[in-house]
Amino acid sequence: MDQIVEKPETLIGKPIPKPDAPDKVVGKTTYINDMVLPRMLIAKIKRTDRVHAKILSVDISEAEKVPGIVAIATAENSPKGLIGVLKDNPPLKGDKVRCIRDEIAGVAGETEEAVDEALNLIKVEYEDLPTVFDPEEALKDDAPLIHDNKPGNLSLTFDFDHGDIKKAEKDSDIVLEEKYELHYVTHTCMGPGCVIADFDTHGKLTIYTQTQYPYNYKMDLAPALDIPAGDIRVIQPPVGGAFGSKLDVYPFEPIAVYLAKKARRPVKLFFSREEEFIASPTRQPARVYIKQGAKKDGTITFRDVNVYLNNGGYTSWGATIPAVMMRTMTGHFRIPNVEFHSKAVYTNNPFAGSFRGYGNVQATYVTATLMDKMAEELGMNPIEFRLKNAQKPGERTPQNSLLKTAALADCIKIGAEKTDFLEKHTANVAAREKPGRIRQGIGIATSIHNAGGAKIHKSDGCGTILTMDDYGRATVITGASEIGQGIDAVITQLVSEELGIPTSDVIIANNDSAIGPWDVGVHASRTTFIAGNAARNAAVKAKHQILAAAARQSNVSADQLDLRGGHVVQKDNGVSVTKLDRLLRAMHFAGDDAELVMVSEYYEPPSELEDKNHVGDISAAYSHGAYITELEVDTLTGGVKLHKMTCVQDVGKVINKLGIEGQMEGGIAQGIGYGLSEELIIEEGIVKNPNFRDYKVVTAPEMPEIECHFIEDDEETGPFGAKGISELPCIIPGASIANAVYNAIGVRFDNPPITPEKIVRALHGDKVEAAE
Amino acid sequence: MSNIENYLAPSSIEDAAAALAAGPATIVAGGTDLMLQTGSGQKTYAPTLINIQKITEMRGISKDGDTIRIGALTTITDLLTDAIIAEHLPVLATMADKFASDQIRNASSIGGNICNASPAGDSIVPMLMYKAEVVLVASTGTRKVPLNEFFTGPGKSVIQENELLIGVDIAVPPAGFKGGFGKFGPRPALEIAMASVSVGGVVKDGVISDVRVAFGAVAPTPIRSAETEVALEGKKLDEETISAAGEVASSSVNPITDVRASDWYRRHLIRVMTEEILNDVS
Amino acid sequence: MSAKVDIEFTVNGAVRQVSVPADMSALDMLRDQLDLKGAKEACGEGECGACTIIVDDASVCSCLMYAADCDGRTIETIEGVQTVDGLDPIQQAFVDQGAVQCGYCTPGMVMQAKHMLAKNPNPTEGDIQRGLEGNVCRCTGYRKIFDAVAEAARS
Ligand SMILES: Cc1cc2nc3c(=O)[nH]c(=O)nc-3n(C[C@H](O)[C@H](O)[C@H](O)COP(=O)(O)OP(=O)(O)OC[C@H]3O[C@@H](n4cnc5c(N)ncnc54)[C@H](O)[C@@H]3O)c2cc1C
Repeated sequence: MDQIVEKPETLIGKPIPKPDAPDKVVGKTTYINDMVLPRMLIAKIKRTDRVHAKILSVDISEAEKVPGIVAIATAENSPKGLIGVLKDNPPLKGDKVRCIRDEIAGVAGETEEAVDEALNLIKVEYEDLPTVFDPEEALKDDAPLIHDNKPGNLSLTFDFDHGDIKKAEKDSDIVLEEKYELHYVTHTCMGPGCVIADFDTHGKLTIYTQTQYPYNYKMDLAPALDIPAGDIRVIQPPVGGAFGSKLDVYPFEPIAVYLAKKARRPVKLFFSREEEFIASPTRQPARVYIKQGAKKDGTITFRDVNVYLNNGGYTSWGATIPAVMMRTMTGHFRIPNVEFHSKAVYTNNPFAGSFRGYGNVQATYVTATLMDKMAEELGMNPIEFRLKNAQKPGERTPQNSLLKTAALADCIKIGAEKTDFLEKHTANVAAREKPGRIRQGIGIATSIHNAGGAKIHKSDGCGTILTMDDYGRATVITGASEIGQGIDAVITQLVSEELGIPTSDVIIANNDSAIGPWDVGVHASRTTFIAGNAARNAAVKAKHQILAAAARQSNVSADQLDLRGGHVVQKDNGVSVTKLDRLLRAMHFAGDDAELVMVSEYYEPPSELEDKNHVGDISAAYSHGAYITELEVDTLTGGVKLHKMTCVQDVGKVINKLGIEGQMEGGIAQGIGYGLSEELIIEEGIVKNPNFRDYKVVTAPEMPEIECHFIEDDEETGPFGAKGISELPCIIPGASIANAVYNAIGVRFDNPPITPEKIVRALHGDKVEAAE
Repeated sequence: MSNIENYLAPSSIEDAAAALAAGPATIVAGGTDLMLQTGSGQKTYAPTLINIQKITEMRGISKDGDTIRIGALTTITDLLTDAIIAEHLPVLATMADKFASDQIRNASSIGGNICNASPAGDSIVPMLMYKAEVVLVASTGTRKVPLNEFFTGPGKSVIQENELLIGVDIAVPPAGFKGGFGKFGPRPALEIAMASVSVGGVVKDGVISDVRVAFGAVAPTPIRSAETEVALEGKKLDEETISAAGEVASSSVNPITDVRASDWYRRHLIRVMTEEILNDVS
Repeated sequence: MSAKVDIEFTVNGAVRQVSVPADMSALDMLRDQLDLKGAKEACGEGECGACTIIVDDASVCSCLMYAADCDGRTIETIEGVQTVDGLDPIQQAFVDQGAVQCGYCTPGMVMQAKHMLAKNPNPTEGDIQRGLEGNVCRCTGYRKIFDAVAEAARS
């Protein structure tokens, strides 16, 4: 009897649990924070308590005497190399401190108690220097200089110019000019900062790290270490979240390496939660001056954007966010004339890194609230005005992003329909005039983001090696990192779909730079798209090799064969030709003809680098989203209660239903925090709320109902049509909430987060009103 | 560096009192304040650490005639489900519902909340309203102190080094007594109050008497507000009275500005919550 | 160094005797002395719930509990939830519903969910949201965790 294998239902679009979830729910997963290596030392950092001061002396003599102290690293006794995007950050500070994060010494010892005691005994003498905390102040001629070799305190600038904004302004019927002040928020990864450094006897470094950027990490780390990048092996144990915070090298990492080198023992350096708040990067704060014009009929005529970024003491990825910000400022809606200028300016504040959404959170807060303001000014409703200016498929933005499918208008229309947006919006405005403590609000915000990688490095590729063992299992060695986001499930799914094997027969290996091929890291919503393509292409190659071998054995031509349920079958009738594992063994043990299924793929997306004028189609695909928030405002306490967020997003194709919804919901929670509650309060360079008590991440009872509508427009270059999706959910909610709050109470907040106190102040000024 | 020389876990009030008499000691109940404060260096341990959790007689709620005793080790969670509380002191259950999170409520003791003497201590505010008295025991004897006279400043009270707080006594409120508690923080849970209010009194034919008003987080200690009480005593709870009381309430306090809230906003919240509770009980 | 305290208690069904410094937290004892590293220290101040364990039928943040106070008590940690037959229904629901991303909060979430369902086997969605108010998750936005708890309650 022939065995018939039915064509299984496709896995694409199904809810596939993460393969690492079972170990995580039983508490078995060993996170980097849980790791203990033999003879490992504990290390911590002595930080400054000044924000700008000359270091006169660092005395470690008493600290060295503490029993159990094995090594102390200071600027004096450590390599002098620099880290950071502009290589302006010495991991250990010897000459001066520039912000409250600054590291004076690293101490490694046998126990945490010994290390704590030694830290207290390190004596530092300072001479305070004049300080500056505001980016525009820091640009003035008489401002204190933060880095001697950075005249004018200028870090990075971005400038873009398209069309003629002067003329467009003259031709406009209305012009709005606004100023926004966008605040500091931080990632608050649940797993605090941690690194383990260990040298082998050849002098080669193994570093266990939380990086989400393992291959560039070597290049970024090496200059600080006096060892070649090639001598660094990066191992990525499971981490407690990253969200962009682990894209750069930060001083604690080289410091751990200095200590490991001195001690000739493994060193684990970790942060307390307080340190995590003070010493890990933030989202980039921004002051945005924006002018936008339109014709009476609602056609936008121009945008003129000037941005000041508080760079803090050193330059990390935060200073580069204009690269992404600009895409939205210039290309979200049809903007025929546009200028964008930004300056990142050194100050004595802590510094920012990258954070999910990367500049687009800020850009979207500004543009999406401005769109609403302008609609109102024009006497149009928020939907109509947006639709008037939404690009059509095939249009290019001023920076040359090609909007192949451009689902923007669809997102807006579907969102408006699903929520009865216009009826509610009008009713809420009318209700403002009537007495009542609780006001209902509805608001929409939209944005665009790269969804097919982002070519910000010379390659945006990902390498994958796929091998099959003698039992029909596939091992996928991918460059892509797993930081909780779920690429493990996606790759498993794509590979099992192609190879016709169960997901449990796919093994992912991706946490060791000595094994994995290159990848540019988890960022830019790129991993499902890029690593997914690489894995799928590798699986297709393996499939070809397998089917060719099966064809030779069976006299059925390869194009008539398929892989299904662990068998090679005849495509048309499902009759099994052979079991896959048996075939693999036959191929493997075929004497002189022996072959192992072992294929590789380096996938480089069809995108281009920007030229020096910031023109270039940097992503293989773009995605739009429209998010509608329904909420209520308590006009007496200022409390905001979210009811529902309805999200319409063009995602190309849903691969893993659980994964995509998880990314949406998780991003939204962070976006809500940005809009309503999270703020790292920094006064004169000092972090005032370095704890979860006063840094208010969104908690379970605050989560609104979330309804997602995915527009599946089958991106031709994506794996099974998928696009990258994971940043928009974090990008859009803040602005959507701001617009809904306005709808409820008629007050605009250009300085998120929209806290209860801000609302009450805006509504009641200094008078205290009566309850009804 | 901490340096606890002795650790004791007595199982009776007597043994605890004796241990306290023996020399300087730190008491620990649930540890939710102590662990944090010693960890951050805000507080240091005395040479002896006395864990009182094994003194089972100090946990639970009982009624003896017109007096309700809440043992010092009673947890905030206990208040949520206790029948005596629900019947006679329901405002304590309202308070418990707004306190921290489940895990913290399960560990937090009433005695710890009082002895920690935080200006924002949630249980203190309705207990002030209920005119609670704390019961302090030393090897030399027992004394009762009205809660109203217990606090002397942030983290400070009249409790002596050799005393153990064993519980609070609250007289069963008179017939027709109604009260409420309000607390505001931007999140529904896990909030230290920006301001909290408890108001109670006997409401009969729309007139309120035996008025007690207490505020948290607006002064160095939780306080009773005599001015607001006067503004309400014997008055009909109409819109005018309520609004006037709200006005008095907010102008009677002099809160600080910190990362959580400005003084202005705290005063505003005091007014809003005072009026809200009065509207509820009227 | 603080005085050592000899304690005896039951953890995940087994009686254990350890000697702990008087100022040590239960979390540090579990992780460092008993090698039960499932409970996580994510904040150390009771604000996030990642270290949640169940002590005598009540969930608590083990970072704020004194190790010495474990004496005589019965403690359940995440390592004790799984049965010989496999995952506990709550754990299975977390896997199936996609309630796990980075997973750092997961052990605490599972323990709190277990405590919640023990007290209230038929929670409403509102009960679930409130029951998890002391557990911070930064990845999932909680919705899938609500789904998992609801699913576990059904099964
Ligand atoms: C995350 C978090 C959230 C919180 N939220 C709130 C909140 O919403 N509202 C609120 O009011 N508090 C809150 N707190 C503070 C704390 O939980 C409470 O104050 C709690 O009631 C303290 O009780 P405990 O048993 O843990 O006290 P412990 O920490 O054991 O003791 C506190 C202090 O009281 C002393 N003490 C304890 N019992 C006695 C006694 N019987 N006799 C004499 N002295 C004694 C101790 O020596 C110590 O100084 C929160 C704490 C945390 C960590």
